[in-house]
Amino acid sequence: MTATRASTHWLAYLPSTLLVAVALSQLVLAHSAALSPWAGGGFGMFSSTDAGARRHLHVFAIRPGLEIEVPPPRALEKLARRARVLPSDVNLRALALEISALPSPDPGAPTSVRIEVWRTRFDPETLIPSSHMLRSLEVSLEGAQ
Amino acid sequence: MKALNSTLQQWIRIEGMDLVLRLTLLLLLLQPLGNWRVRGIVLAIAAAGLLVPALQRQPALWLSLTFLTAWRLFLEWPVSDNHSYLLCYWCLAIFIALRREDGTSLLAVSSRVLIGLVFAFATLWKLALSPDYLDGTFFRVTLILDDRFEFWTLLLGGMTPDLLESHRAYLSQHVDGVLFQPLEHPAEPASFTRLARAATLWTVAIEGVVAIAFLWPWEKGPAQLRNALLLIFCATTFAFAPVAGFGWLLVILGIAQCAAENHRTRWLYLCVFALILLYRELAPG
Repeated sequence: MTATRASTHWLAYLPSTLLVAVALSQLVLAHSAALSPWAGGGFGMFSSTDAGARRHLHVFAIRPGLEIEVPPPRALEKLARRARVLPSDVNLRALALEISALPSPDPGAPTSVRIEVWRTRFDPETLIPSSHMLRSLEVSLEGAQ
Repeated sequence: MKALNSTLQQWIRIEGMDLVLRLTLLLLLLQPLGNWRVRGIVLAIAAAGLLVPALQRQPALWLSLTFLTAWRLFLEWPVSDNHSYLLCYWCLAIFIALRREDGTSLLAVSSRVLIGLVFAFATLWKLALSPDYLDGTFFRVTLILDDRFEFWTLLLGGMTPDLLESHRAYLSQHVDGVLFQPLEHPAEPASFTRLARAATLWTVAIEGVVAIAFLWPWEKGPAQLRNALLLIFCATTFAFAPVAGFGWLLVILGIAQCAAENHRTRWLYLCVFALILLYRELAPG
């Protein structure tokens, strides 16, 4: 009888144990890898102005002596969104490689692509916005294509 | 109104576990999963479960839903909404409960702890982890920039459409670094400041007390307020917050931990379920 009770309790707590494990890892990623508080299963929604949709990114195609900003096309919005929400090396690299494959109006292929992810902070008194870079990654394309 | 009342009365008489299963399947139909790869299969399973009551209590159906909701999280990680995670945990809790003889009481424990933890983490973020919640910045910015709140900002915040637009332009100035010559900050009506402050305090206060009530280990004290607090939270928050799926899920979890003989409270939960549907359908804009 005691054994049944103990096993009942253990099973009842299995989903909540998963919730705690995911929420704690979200917390760690939010502090170590700039994961947005709104995402990742940590229940930080409606707590911060740092939602993924409020972040922005800049993409630069780089050739020797030349650096051109390339707006990510709509077709890559899913990858761009993922990179904004969690600007990890993996997500930034995936976006950089897709962008490097896009046809360019300029002659010559880029040798690398740099992606910067920024968030906006607001002054608590005046609400003046100021942007802060969260992550930047330059992906060398030599040997990647 | 009579028809609605009689429908609610019929649903109240359904055995607790069956009611929870039906409502969860209904939720999956009302709020289809975002990812197209799993949406169709989940819709088909949910519809089959509702049309063939014998399927509802099949653990295999809930195991499939657990895998599909988890797969969706994996495919979209990390951009899924938080309630998508809760839905996955909930399907797992139902699967476990259906495999046990004491499933109803096991599901009650699961739902109570899940609700408590969701609100505990939400409160932790607002109180301790987020740097711009308690000082009011979050709601002052969100009420302006998030157009889903526009109706309430205009109605309760004393803003005119023109003033709201100038606030949006001010907050949306694109800067990489710090602005040297920012636009002039448009005047903030006193009622808007009051609205932002009230939203800040009310949200963290109600979420904090819901967390305490549901994680309270004894049945006396704050635990006696569990249903009342969750009902108040759902009935008020989802009038403003445009996340009906989260509201319905919380209502279902609330019913699952509600004592079987407590018909009145179950009736109130069903009313709030219907109310959230009403909020969604009547949402301005």
